[in-house]
Amino acid sequence: MAQMFPSIGEKRPKMPVFTIEDCPQCGTKTKRAFKLGDFVYREGGECAKCHAKTIISMIYAELIKVQ
Amino acid sequence: MGLPSGGLTTTVFYVIFTIILFAVSFLWAPRIQAYTALNDVKKNLEKLQVLKDASRREAIGYVNTVMKSSKDAQARVDQFLEYFTIMPVDLDPNGIVGKIEHVTRLQDDRIRDELKALSPGADPVQISVAQNILEVATSLNMIFKIVRHFYIQGQKTKSYFILVQLQMIMPMLVQESEALMSAVDAFKQAQPIGDGLGPMVAGKLMVGKEKVTVERETVYAVTEYKGRKLFVLKAEGPMGTVGRPQVGVEKIINDPNNKISTVIMVDAALKLEGENTGEVAEGIGAAIGGIGVEKFRIEAAATAKDIPMYAIVVKQSLIDAISVMKKEIAEATDKTIERVNRLVEEKTKEGDTVLLVGVGNTLGVAQ
Repeated sequence: MAQMFPSIGEKRPKMPVFTIEDCPQCGTKTKRAFKLGDFVYREGGECAKCHAKTIISMIYAELIKVQ
Repeated sequence: MGLPSGGLTTTVFYVIFTIILFAVSFLWAPRIQAYTALNDVKKNLEKLQVLKDASRREAIGYVNTVMKSSKDAQARVDQFLEYFTIMPVDLDPNGIVGKIEHVTRLQDDRIRDELKALSPGADPVQISVAQNILEVATSLNMIFKIVRHFYIQGQKTKSYFILVQLQMIMPMLVQESEALMSAVDAFKQAQPIGDGLGPMVAGKLMVGKEKVTVERETVYAVTEYKGRKLFVLKAEGPMGTVGRPQVGVEKIINDPNNKISTVIMVDAALKLEGENTGEVAEGIGAAIGGIGVEKFRIEAAATAKDIPMYAIVVKQSLIDAISVMKKEIAEATDKTIERVNRLVEEKTKEGDTVLLVGVGNTLGVAQ
C-alpha cells in the first residue's frame, strides 16, 4: 500500500550543480561549476598536478549553506 | 414571582437562534463544506494551470531555440500534448504484454520521428531531451485536465463527495506536478537525474571497454572481476533514454556462447517517508519499474534458464528521482559497486559469467 504513495520529497531550492573531474593517474579530484556539454564519463580537462587527461566522474546538485 | 420580562425575551431569542442555527447547519452543512472544498480545489487548480502553461512554454522554447526548428513549433507542441494512447483490450489477457509493448513503442517512435522532422538538424541528445520535456508537459496537461473535469462536475452537481475526494488528493497532485516541473531544468541542460544512478554504476564499469550496440539505444561491454566474466548493460548515454534493457537481457541470456549464471540489476527506487536518500538496499527479483513490459520479459528470460536475479537499489524520493542528481545519490555509485562486487564474490564462482544491468534514464551519463 505504502509503495503506491512513495515519498514525493521536499520542494527543492535552486541548487548549484557541480562537475567532479577525477585524474585516473594521480587520483586528484577537481570540483568546478557545471558547464553546458558536460556529461559523466566524458573526458575532462588537464589534471593540475600531473597534466594527465581527467575524466568527469560525477555531476551533482549540492545545497550550499551560507554561514 | 415570575422571570423578569427582559430575561424571558433573551432566553426565547437564544432558543430560537439555536434552533435556526441547528437547522441551518443540519440542512446546509454539506453545501457549506462543498463550497469550502470548491474554493480549495479552485486555488490548487490555478496552481496546476500555471505549471501546465510553464511546461508548455519550456517545450516550445526548447524546440524553437535549442533545436532550431525549421517550422513554428507552437502548433505541433500543442498537438503533441493532446496525443493519447489506447491501451490494448485486456478481456483476454493472453499476449497482452506484447500488445502493450507494441503500442507504447509506436507512441515513442511517433513522437521521436515527428521531433526529427520538426528539427532535422537536431542531434540525438537534443531530440531525447525534447522528448523528456514533452513527456513532462503532457503529464501536467493531463493532470490539469482531469482535475478540471472533476472540479466542473462538482460545481455543476454541488456534489460534496466528488469535491471532498478531489480536495483530499489535491496536495499530493500539486506536489507531484511541482516535482515534474522541477525536472525540466535538469532535462534542458542534459544533467544527470536521480534515476540515472543505475546507468552511472554500469557506465563506470564500462569506461575504456569496447561497447556493443545490442538494441536501439542499448549498449553493453564485457569486463572481468576476480575471474568472473561480466556483461554490463545500460541505455546508451548521454541521451535521455532508458533504452530497451529487456531486449538486451534476452539477447545476452539466450546467446548459447554466454552461459549467464547470474543476473544483477541496479536501479533507483522510490523511498518511503523516513528512509534516507542515497541508502543502498539489496533484494531479489527484477529491479525495473515502468509499465511492466520490461520486467515481464526480463523475468521470463531468466526463469526459462533458471538464472537467479539479484537486485540492488538506491533509495530516493520522487523529486530526487526526476531532478538533477543529488550529491548523496551520486556518491552512492561507489557504495553500489562495492555491493555488486560482494554479490559477485558470494553468489558466483571463478569462471562464471554474470550479467549486470544498470536500469534508468541515462541522461548526462555516458559509458
